[in-house]
Amino acid sequence: MRYSDCNKTLRENVMKSYELASASQEKLNAVVTFADVEKQIEETIQDETLPLYGKPVAVKDNISTKGIRTTASSRILDNYVPVFDAAVVEKLKAAGATIICKTSMDELGMGGTNLNAYTGKVNNPYDLSRISGGSSGGSAALVAAGVVPMALGTDTGDSIRKPASYCGVVGFKPTYGRISRYGVIPYASSLDHVGFFTTCVEDACVTLKCLAGRDDRDMTSSYEPVGEYDKNLNSDLNGKKIAVLDNVLSSIKDERIVNEFHQLMKKLEDRGAVIVHVTMDENLLQTLLPVYLIIANAEACANHSNLDGVRFGMREEGNDLEEIMINSRTKGFSSAVRKRFVLGSYSLFTENQEKLFRKAQKVRRVIVDSYTSILKDCDCIVAPAAATVAPHENDSVDEKMSDTYLVAENHMILGNMAGTPSLTLPYTFIDGLPVGVNVSAKAFDEQTVLNVAKAIEEETQLEGKCAEV
Amino acid sequence: MEYETIIGIEIHCELKTKTKMFSSGRAEFGQAPNSCASEVDLGLPGTLPCLNEHGVELALRACMGTHCEIDPLLKFDRKNYYYSDLPKGFQITQQFHPIGRNGYVEIDTENGKKKIRLNRIHMEEDTAKQFHTGSNTLIDFNRAGTPLIEIVSEPDMRCGKEAAAYVEQLKNMLYYMGVSDCKMEEGSMRCDVNVSLRPCGSDTFGTKTEIKNLNSIANVQKAIDYETMRQKELLEAGKQVDQETRRFDEATRTTVLMRKKEGNVDYKFFPEPNIFPIQLSEEWIDHIRQTLPELPEKRKEKYMNVYGLSEYDANTLTSVKELSDFYDEVVTQTDEYKLACNWCTVEMMAYLNKENIKLVNNPLSSAHLADMINMVAKGEISGKQAKTVFEEMMKGKDPRKVVEEKGMKQLSDPEAIRALVIKVLDNNPNAINDFKNGKDRAVGALIGQVMKLSRGTANPAMASQIMNEELKKR
Amino acid sequence: MEEFNKDMLRKLAHNVMFDLNDQELEELALDFKDYLKQLDLLNKIDTEGVEEMVYPFETPTTFLRNDEESHVLSASEALANAPKTSQGYIVVPKVVK
Repeated sequence: MRYSDCNKTLRENVMKSYELASASQEKLNAVVTFADVEKQIEETIQDETLPLYGKPVAVKDNISTKGIRTTASSRILDNYVPVFDAAVVEKLKAAGATIICKTSMDELGMGGTNLNAYTGKVNNPYDLSRISGGSSGGSAALVAAGVVPMALGTDTGDSIRKPASYCGVVGFKPTYGRISRYGVIPYASSLDHVGFFTTCVEDACVTLKCLAGRDDRDMTSSYEPVGEYDKNLNSDLNGKKIAVLDNVLSSIKDERIVNEFHQLMKKLEDRGAVIVHVTMDENLLQTLLPVYLIIANAEACANHSNLDGVRFGMREEGNDLEEIMINSRTKGFSSAVRKRFVLGSYSLFTENQEKLFRKAQKVRRVIVDSYTSILKDCDCIVAPAAATVAPHENDSVDEKMSDTYLVAENHMILGNMAGTPSLTLPYTFIDGLPVGVNVSAKAFDEQTVLNVAKAIEEETQLEGKCAEV
Repeated sequence: MEYETIIGIEIHCELKTKTKMFSSGRAEFGQAPNSCASEVDLGLPGTLPCLNEHGVELALRACMGTHCEIDPLLKFDRKNYYYSDLPKGFQITQQFHPIGRNGYVEIDTENGKKKIRLNRIHMEEDTAKQFHTGSNTLIDFNRAGTPLIEIVSEPDMRCGKEAAAYVEQLKNMLYYMGVSDCKMEEGSMRCDVNVSLRPCGSDTFGTKTEIKNLNSIANVQKAIDYETMRQKELLEAGKQVDQETRRFDEATRTTVLMRKKEGNVDYKFFPEPNIFPIQLSEEWIDHIRQTLPELPEKRKEKYMNVYGLSEYDANTLTSVKELSDFYDEVVTQTDEYKLACNWCTVEMMAYLNKENIKLVNNPLSSAHLADMINMVAKGEISGKQAKTVFEEMMKGKDPRKVVEEKGMKQLSDPEAIRALVIKVLDNNPNAINDFKNGKDRAVGALIGQVMKLSRGTANPAMASQIMNEELKKR
Repeated sequence: MEEFNKDMLRKLAHNVMFDLNDQELEELALDFKDYLKQLDLLNKIDTEGVEEMVYPFETPTTFLRNDEESHVLSASEALANAPKTSQGYIVVPKVVK
């Protein structure tokens, strides 16, 4: 579903999406909370000239929505109803959009499969037995299933761009600081980005223009002027230098994914693009996941220290304060999250910081320096977004350190470490399942990402593509 | 054995801002519980910190007043621990890059001036306030996020008296600079004192104890004096001092064990990722330096050297900032510096104390007081009349109007006074005889009659002079 | 390398205010093994003289918030999600003995 498909009255558009969401819930399990849709319609700004007027949207459940339960798919926030809107929700509302539901995610964003949600697995719209990917799995699935034209997500490792690949939609994480994080329940503050899913590049342009911009409540928010992304959208690749990250391709075992990718590159070359091949130090890329996990777990553990059952959320009783906190947090967090918090906390102890946390932060700099030096010499970097199509539950490799992971599964973390804009869109289907290509560019050069993505979309003809659920 | 006491002090001081350090929620004492807590102050999920400009300015003033080196690149860190008064589960502070370093404060001791070195001044945020009832603790998050600076001294003090002088000096300075209202009793300034003993001549430190939350300068001294004695007794008995946290018990004037320190708590400090480093401009820092409120030392100097007041007067005036401020206003409108000082420090303070009015609510206008002082100086009214005028001025009246209404204008016409004197002398032949027989007291009675006849308006000096002239003629 | 026995792991968990059951402790011990094995990968990277990267971008900012009140919650909003309140306060069991 594209924005342009929402061409009836506000009520008709919203009710249609709402009904689709309800109807698909049993199959997809993508929704955590359905909004009071009458109330949302009533509160929508009645101004047809607004860019998102009459567009029903879904919001990832770690984004605060005033008056709508916001759980971040964690039991500890099961009863939490924010008293304020996240900045990005204010922006959505100001643009005239209507929120219909909150979408499932890996608990507190910690995961890449969406299997670790308090409400359970989200099913892939193209094959319900497969995973949606995560952590923004619910949002990806709803857009892929044609329920809403746009859904908000967040991306700390590749939490928008991986599910976008698995579900065959456009998933965009702009530059760090481009969209305010105020009111977004964090995972790891120095890596967290707000972004979204659409079914076409043009809708991504419109959405970014609505959500981007400086917010004084987020000190990491950028003053860079917001572009006219839709008006400036230009798929002319003539002379554009596109770098292919070869390390990714060489670590993909499925030849069909690699071959289709090369064919796509050939088409871009035919459009006048200059395709160059680049490689990064393999040893450095091997550290992507561990560096990411060390930093993310540490920041996450501190970030979520506020979830203690004292001021909000699920309190489990106890005889004293410590018992209340321990009981609330033990019962409130899944095993996976608690284990990761311990790993994160461990790396922050004074005696461990130098060899773990700070070492990871130093390696992060080496990685980012290497990555940005490649970006300096080209317009964008492209690579397949994943090594496989969406796996089945048991075949999935989560953000877990094991020595068998592939660079191809984790390369998109580069965009989080460097804060650079990065977009995934579908480029082919293999056995009826989508595979995404990732396009990344220099910081704040969202326009190039969108332009190249537009050219790819013209080649693939997958604009607006949705699954029948 | 002789022992030397080593004292270091950590002071937490609430900054006088309208809003919190990292949120735009209101920072105000004494409001209804949880009515000034923003979503940030409550640590609600997804909230982010945003630094208060005025908080930074006040921290800079404190650094400037204590001669600290200033780091113009602000960075913040997280101090992680769990407690019911700590909403986020971490406190944002400046562990690795304090805004100020290596300063000093000068105090007066029996042996002259002494420099107490400051290790650092850093910015941070306050915790929530807790009240303990029967079986519950009630939490008010209004105070959570209130801007604080922590001022850490080097272990440079050697007795309770020096420590008290140090706190007094800092308190006075921070108050004068508008950094904090420094109300120790309300907790807007809190002192933690570290005390250890070592044999005289030794250059290693003994085991220290920390006395937490001293709520007055007097208690700082008392607590240290007691703690010194306690540790000395332990050492002399061959026992050791344990590293522990103690509190001062006012009733018994002793320090009481709160908890033993079992190794250091690891707060897992790491840089706050939500606040990018902030570069303060040289111009802004310079501007703050240029417009720094005048410190008491400077004012004292001015009072003594420019206005010719005594050290005692200068000390009295500067002991209370509002009094000094008021005096400064008065002397922009009169040159009678000494007279103005007397009226401010004696009459005005007596009146305010009697009526239990705080200086900040002083009903007296500086213009009125200056006006009255000028009238006295010019002999337009007598000192005695001035007291009556003063009483009326304290009720808000214009001194000129009072003088007019009460017909107080002083009689300074010599011929008119002479007429009165002659009249009195004519009516009191006996008194003239007394005078001639050497009874000087008689003169006083005669002048009294002149004053009475003039309804108190006669210039007393002139009346006395003319009386003497006329008596000689008789 | 440290020995990650259950007692130690339990203590680590308590340090961040939760419990782990026996199975979780066993899984965590394995996770730690993996975690520390990855350090070998990190240690292959020469970081001599490299500063820690704390933020994605490191150009210092200059913005400071004006000291003006905004975004205020009413007391009822502040307490809206509180599990236990009394007389406008949030309540926990007495924290001082």
